Amino acid sequence: MATVKINGKEITVEDGTLILDAAKSAGFEIPTMCYHARLSKLASCRVCLVEIVGQKKLQPSCVTPVMHNMEVLTESPVVKSARSSMIELLLANHPLDCPVCDKGGECELQDVTFKFGPRKSPFGEPKRRFNEEDYILSPVIVQNINRCIQCKRCVRICAEVVGAGVLGSIGRGTGTQETSFVKEYLDCDHCGNCIEVCPVGSLMSRSFRYKSRPWDLSGVDTVCTYCGTGCQLTVQARNGEVVRVISNPDTGINNETLCARGRFGYSFINSHERLVTPMVRVDGKLEPSTWDKALDTIRTGLTNAIKMGEKIGGVASARLTNEELYLFQKLMRVALKSNNLEAGSRWNSDSVKEFIDVMGLKNGGVSIYDALKADTVLIIGTAISDENPVTDYIIRRLSSYRKMNIIIMSSRGLKLDSSAKILLRHKPGAEREIIGAITNIITGKSKGTSGQDNIVAAAEIIKNSNSVSIAVGNDVLRIASQLSYINDLTDSLKGLGKEVKLFPVLDRANQRGAWDMGVHPALLPGYKSTGEEGLGCDGIIQSALKGEVGALYIAGEDVVSDFPDGRAAREALGKVKFLIVQDMFLTETAKMANVLLPSASFVEKDGTFTNQEGRVQRLRRLYAPQGDVKADWEIISAIGETVAPSFGVKSATDIFNEIKEVVPMYRDISFEGLNGNGAILQLSGSSEGSGVVARFIGQNRRDNPSGLSPETVDPEYPFTLITGNHLYHSGRLSMKVDKLREILNEAIVEISEEDALVLGITEGVKVRVKSKSYEAYLTAKINSGTAKGVVFIPENFTDVLVNMFFKMGEGFPRVKVQLP
Amino acid sequence: MLSEAAVNEIKDIRKRYATARSCIMPCLYVVQKEYGYITEDGMREIAKILGVKPVLVFEVSTFYTMYNKKPVGRYHVQVCTNISCSIMDGEHIVDVISRKLGVKVKETTPDKKFTLSTVECLGSCGTAPMMQINDKYYENLNDTKVEEILNSLR
Amino acid sequence: MFEPVILKNINIPDSFKLSAYINSGGYQALKKALEMTPDALIQMVKDSGLRGRGGAGFSTGLKWSFIPKDATLQKYLCCNADEGEPGTFKDRAIIEYDPHQLVEGMIIASYAIGADTSYIYIRGEFAFGADRLEAAIKEAYQKNYLGKNILGTKFNHDMYVHRGAGAYICGEETALLESIEGRRALPRIKPPFPAHVGLFGKPTVINNVETLACIPHIINKGASWFASIGPAKSPGPKLFGISGSVNKPGLYELPMGTPLREIIYTHAGGMKPGKKLKAVVPGGVSAPMLTENDLDTPMDFDSLAAKGTMLGSGAVVVIDDSMCIVKAALITHEFFHHESCGKCTPCREGLDWIVKVMRRIEHGQGKEGDIELLQKLCVDIFGRTFCPLGDGAVMALRGAFNNFREEFEYHIKNKRCMVNGNR
Repeated sequence: MATVKINGKEITVEDGTLILDAAKSAGFEIPTMCYHARLSKLASCRVCLVEIVGQKKLQPSCVTPVMHNMEVLTESPVVKSARSSMIELLLANHPLDCPVCDKGGECELQDVTFKFGPRKSPFGEPKRRFNEEDYILSPVIVQNINRCIQCKRCVRICAEVVGAGVLGSIGRGTGTQETSFVKEYLDCDHCGNCIEVCPVGSLMSRSFRYKSRPWDLSGVDTVCTYCGTGCQLTVQARNGEVVRVISNPDTGINNETLCARGRFGYSFINSHERLVTPMVRVDGKLEPSTWDKALDTIRTGLTNAIKMGEKIGGVASARLTNEELYLFQKLMRVALKSNNLEAGSRWNSDSVKEFIDVMGLKNGGVSIYDALKADTVLIIGTAISDENPVTDYIIRRLSSYRKMNIIIMSSRGLKLDSSAKILLRHKPGAEREIIGAITNIITGKSKGTSGQDNIVAAAEIIKNSNSVSIAVGNDVLRIASQLSYINDLTDSLKGLGKEVKLFPVLDRANQRGAWDMGVHPALLPGYKSTGEEGLGCDGIIQSALKGEVGALYIAGEDVVSDFPDGRAAREALGKVKFLIVQDMFLTETAKMANVLLPSASFVEKDGTFTNQEGRVQRLRRLYAPQGDVKADWEIISAIGETVAPSFGVKSATDIFNEIKEVVPMYRDISFEGLNGNGAILQLSGSSEGSGVVARFIGQNRRDNPSGLSPETVDPEYPFTLITGNHLYHSGRLSMKVDKLREILNEAIVEISEEDALVLGITEGVKVRVKSKSYEAYLTAKINSGTAKGVVFIPENFTDVLVNMFFKMGEGFPRVKVQLP
Repeated sequence: MLSEAAVNEIKDIRKRYATARSCIMPCLYVVQKEYGYITEDGMREIAKILGVKPVLVFEVSTFYTMYNKKPVGRYHVQVCTNISCSIMDGEHIVDVISRKLGVKVKETTPDKKFTLSTVECLGSCGTAPMMQINDKYYENLNDTKVEEILNSLR
Repeated sequence: MFEPVILKNINIPDSFKLSAYINSGGYQALKKALEMTPDALIQMVKDSGLRGRGGAGFSTGLKWSFIPKDATLQKYLCCNADEGEPGTFKDRAIIEYDPHQLVEGMIIASYAIGADTSYIYIRGEFAFGADRLEAAIKEAYQKNYLGKNILGTKFNHDMYVHRGAGAYICGEETALLESIEGRRALPRIKPPFPAHVGLFGKPTVINNVETLACIPHIINKGASWFASIGPAKSPGPKLFGISGSVNKPGLYELPMGTPLREIIYTHAGGMKPGKKLKAVVPGGVSAPMLTENDLDTPMDFDSLAAKGTMLGSGAVVVIDDSMCIVKAALITHEFFHHESCGKCTPCREGLDWIVKVMRRIEHGQGKEGDIELLQKLCVDIFGRTFCPLGDGAVMALRGAFNNFREEFEYHIKNKRCMVNGNR
């Protein structure tokens, strides 16, 4: 500890505390421009200079640590004068564009000048100018380098945090420009983090250009709807239209970072394609209707199904809130007496249950920062850099601060590869084999075989670590398989005295919440077992194909496009007697509904999400939805009332209060009290919660679908096709966003460099991908890191529905790739 | 595409340093030797061979003055105009050359033989005024010597 | 006549070749050094009183002693052959005419600090010098002065030439390291100092060419011999490069502490015919200029510092009365402005502002208040920059003001030059 005096005030701080932070804790603000808490230090702007008693030269407080008995003056005349001079010098070449600059009103240079700068300046020389017009640097960035004050935050965040490294400082002296290689139009992550950290109007958002002055915006702090990372963001609107999303440096695990979807993926909210009125199928056609008529039709349809003793199923989207998902399962189990329900349509529900068990989700949450406090981090089952970009940023940033061995197991080349110690490239579905091999090596059962050098090296690293963190993504669920290999590894590690942490990486915003809330055929809220297991989505589809499903209620999920067998899904839904769908858009599934209900977006309702960490965070309502649109929970409530009059609820808060009673982990969470960092779920340790626990009479058990397809490689179809989300897209919502479509509009097929060479495929050409039953034409993208024999087509695009390549029970599709 | 000789030279360079990035500066000289200036493709190739992001190569090529961003004449005439050379009338030498070649500073003769530049101190102050043409120093200049030198390069 | 030490070989035919160097006693010092312990070597250099000849004048032995003794750590030696300070041309002579002297000094220094690899950072413009060094290094490898098990000992060493490409800032030691690492040459935050975190993050010593060239002589003739030359606190032979309006500009090796007057009048033959001495820059353009009154100042680190200027690189530039000081100041300032790396605000923006004002003054567009403005900018910049480049620019300008303010005032008031009447 060090005791120091700041402006005469004595405080005690940890050794090594920066003067900047020490002063802040003592209540003294020191302005900074180049300094950023999460980026490498430059000490270049010199705005933070302070006086240290006994030292002749002023020192930069952002890099100078306090020493015991140091006396610092941050407000002395010489410091104030120096500070003012530095600001004056920054303003010298800075174009006084405020009236026409996007940043006006939220500009750090304005702020710091107002607080600490000179009131007048004798500068009367011509200012250096790089360009007469603003420059379009990328789909999301418009640049005016004249305004740049050389803080280099953009270059640093791009290289150090995002890992893209596409910005650099070109030239020298006053001629320095921060821009791209040969000023080319950027093909990068399009995350916009460079825009977010730019303190002035040099890098600006094309989406926000000319839309509003910051003081005309209304906004809410909420959670991103695109993936399980659960970034905090602020959605801002003007005159009822969302015009911008920004991120706050002081909140959330993401601080100021977001990815392209989180930052620029909001225009679906105000899309003209939004459903605004209920629709009912009349004479084979969906026609606009009223809520009364729609609910009447629903009452009839559901009552019939119940009367006929037919199966009733429910599939909810994992981007619904906890409140909605809880109510959904309550509707299914209590009102409709059914255990056939699932959140999501892509995975086998038995595998999901195993995942939940193996990952210990019922034991409460772990902050990602705690999870990453390990000697070694093993990442499996996720193309993490594309699926959960901000999780990738956090891992990259932390691994640069301290020694952390990152071992990545994947079939595809990833951006995070460059931070990894060992890369284990594998065939899709080989996770069990490889983890098994690692477990055997670390327990001494085997020394590894030839050709397993990397696996042996990885095992060695793991064995020599005191703490190991295992991040498991939901790609291990794509093909049904047992996940006991994860248990074997963690048990072995624990047996060797290692500290082991498990960390799920989930690709849907509220997937974990959905499971916490019991939207699963075998699990009740809080992970209690149902008495008798119902059918998950795959079971419902199989049952529907046999004509057994009398009613199916789909809330927000596009089963037809997502279920890994598009043909089967469409056929199955066609055979369902009564199909209720609620969604924001007319999806492929929505088109098949008997009753289609318009639901609200995430900024039009209050609620909570639980991210992959097990952190509960608040969604907040920015404004009421348009037209006849209702929040999903309102719709579920209304549907429930059609068959169980006392079912209705009045508010999301009411639902949350019930959740608190039913799910012990949620008992201490305060809906109103959740701030910018949410609350990590803690296992209360006490007995099961009291209150409503749904019980029911079970339905038929359905068979486990088969696991991986056998390794008989048909030479006609030499490639294994895998899927997942694309960096710029997530789920099915992002295709409703113009800006994300501008960045990437059509499905691509990713292929390895080796294979591309053999097939004569170059970047950007159109190729034909064909399986036994389906074919499509896609643009080729070459990923040098991707494994030989593997191709990847993202699952988000409407021009090519990748699920048409998949067939139930057949594992990963086999395809051939040719030039047309 | 860089010649095989150039690629081999780059391989040799790689052995001299602990990191690939360190090779950027000598590799840029290889590109400049090949093409006369730093081409965009040359930078891309260096980036690919070294395994670094292209913008890092671009940063270095634009920070240091001796990497030509644009093609220069066969003879790059660089006259020092810093203090010692100025005292010894380096500016006059610039004028003489400018008049003889018919170009202004920063310009290239139409036949692409000469580019005239003024540069900062070349570390030859004791023999001022002086100039550097490509890699060679020409010191203790006067009008006659300048005339001779330029004629010999025609 | 002072017997040359550093320059003793340069008039020998083919002095740059190994054979010539060996003939004049070369690589004996290396043999001796390899028989000493590194600690003893460092002590010897400390005892000699050798101070860095790059400009900072830091005790060389002390700098070497900062390197951690842990033998398992990789260490580096870097030779700063960037020689960019205007007026300076001393290192070039060593590099072109006696490169083995430098190579030998570097091998000894590397042995003393435990470095298995060294780089000579040579400015890009010295292409000829780089070739000479590469050739010398090749010869040294052939004779096992470099490579594995040097002269039968356990000491291995590899030496490489790294060419700069035109950036004065690379003369700053941490910028030099950045440049070798393939980056833009922006100086680094200190601490940590290069002795702990240097090239590629490893402990590194950076020494000037002339400094390293002294090492073989110290080994051969002893620390007390070196310490006995010139003033006690600033000893040794020194290369003084004198240029400008003198009859015999060039490089002169003299004892540290030789008076400026002697250098100009005795060795460099005095002022050119018809020229009167107006000002003298004593140690490269960063050193504030002196006038006629100061000519008796001994040329050593401390005496010049006491006069408010500095020895720097020992580059003496003599300005005569036909040179307008405003123009000289502008030329100098344009240099600093051109070479500013752009990292820190005061240097980047401050020098830019200053140069714009000075251009106006020089070209007859000066305004009342310009001098006060320049002085204010000097205060804004001085001591606040990230590295000494900005400080150097301010010191040079202040030197011009302090002695020749009337020339600036004349330019501003009369819109033309006081000296030659030009606009």
